[in-house]
Amino acid sequence: MSLPVQSGDAARRATRESFLTGEFTVRPPRGLRPGGRFLSRGRVALGSLHWMGWILVSPRSVVSGGVARELDALGVGALRLVCSASILVGLIATFQVAYQLKQYGAESVSALAIGWFGTREVGPLVVALLVVTRSASAIAGEFAAMTAGGEIDALRAMSLDPVKYLVAPKNLALLVALPALTVIADGLITLGGWVGTTMFLGFNTRFYLEQIRSSLSTSDIAIGAVKSVIFAFVIAVIASDEGLGVDRRVAAIGEAASRAVVYCLLGVLAADTLVNAVFYFIPSLVL
Amino acid sequence: MTGPASSPLIFDIDLFVGCGETLLVLGPIQSGKSMLMRHLVGLESASSGTIAVDGESFDPTRPVEKELRAFRARVGVLFEGSALLRRISVLENVELPLLEHEHRSRPRARDAARELLAEVGIEVDDETLPVQLGRAGQRRAALARALALRPRLLLLDEPTLGLDSQAAHEFDETLHGLQKKYNFGIVIFSHEIRYAYAPANQIDVLAGGRIVARGTRESLLESNDPVIHGLLHRRERER
Repeated sequence: MSLPVQSGDAARRATRESFLTGEFTVRPPRGLRPGGRFLSRGRVALGSLHWMGWILVSPRSVVSGGVARELDALGVGALRLVCSASILVGLIATFQVAYQLKQYGAESVSALAIGWFGTREVGPLVVALLVVTRSASAIAGEFAAMTAGGEIDALRAMSLDPVKYLVAPKNLALLVALPALTVIADGLITLGGWVGTTMFLGFNTRFYLEQIRSSLSTSDIAIGAVKSVIFAFVIAVIASDEGLGVDRRVAAIGEAASRAVVYCLLGVLAADTLVNAVFYFIPSLVL
Repeated sequence: MTGPASSPLIFDIDLFVGCGETLLVLGPIQSGKSMLMRHLVGLESASSGTIAVDGESFDPTRPVEKELRAFRARVGVLFEGSALLRRISVLENVELPLLEHEHRSRPRARDAARELLAEVGIEVDDETLPVQLGRAGQRRAALARALALRPRLLLLDEPTLGLDSQAAHEFDETLHGLQKKYNFGIVIFSHEIRYAYAPANQIDVLAGGRIVARGTRESLLESNDPVIHGLLHRRERER
């Protein structure tokens, strides 16, 4: 097809001050995740670590306000859910443990199990799963909507790294919020256990507190908090990567949110398995 | 954008726009306009070619972040639908490139952002969010953000899509007023025929991923090519 290009066009270009010139051929994108999911998650994780370090040493930076905003949304916003769920979990654990131990006439030691297992395992895991259901879909959906709306492209077109401006503040907020929520959950699981033990099993408060005191140590709470830090990082990286890795379709928003919940749940459980296996095979690590 | 994975989507594009000039890349929807614009700022990698703006260039086949950063500082981009960050205020949106590229202090960046917004005809509070502006206001705020680094070239993807004719006309007037003042080049990617009747120095007609015609409005109006005829004479049919 002949182009109706004006005569003398080439000469005009040669003599004029050049602003934009370009000649190129474009092939279709080779997929939105070059290198696959693992590499993509790895890039987000490393970038996130880098920019979190930067935020910590530059607390007055432009993204610091974002951390406070995210802490409010992801941490304070989840407080009511975590509190109510933790009391129920404490009650469930009491009934379940007492039911099993009743067969051996050891119902009275159920508080020992609640104190130890609640803080080391159930507390961090329940909080992580609650945050996954509440926030992972929200993070992935938000980033996917930003991708569909061109906001991520707009950031990149200004050479602004989306990991720095969007992912790192959320990651840092979750790293602070999840251990804090876990400690609160530990307390409320113990409270739920107290309600179950005193009201339904018929033991008195002093007996319950003595059992808890003898079973629970600071290291149990610390181990739970360390686990929750790992879970927070896993949730932030997977949810962010799922949100940023979508194509520019509105339908991709819901898909990203669903995938984020599924992968975050698996990620949290896998991380928990790994941590427990490490503690089992290397007992010296257990404080 | 369908077809075998190895087949090119956009072929042999050769664009040129001079200082203070306006180039219109006119084409139907799905003709590759947005994809072309994404390549011009290094958001996609091409299979071959070169891209340069005012002496700054990058290799579109293997974009290097350092080169892209220098290149992008000279190019302002207005994406279709504004693409302002919704969760931060309008002022913060305009401040971002100033803080990132020019490392200005927060108060100085804020003052500059206010000036930029005033230039495009917007006055906002510190807390005004993009959603509170309305579509025309958002488009102007996005224009202010695109102009924050005083770019040498402005790329606009469907800049007035979804605006009523009055708002679109006012946006065009603001844009051309700023172009006269700062003498930057403009490339407009649009399917809107009204741009063909606006003061574009040159029109490139994009169809099927290729530039099928190039010229001034007058020369293209005389073309008998069915694609060009279909695009440029639509206005007469619509009357």
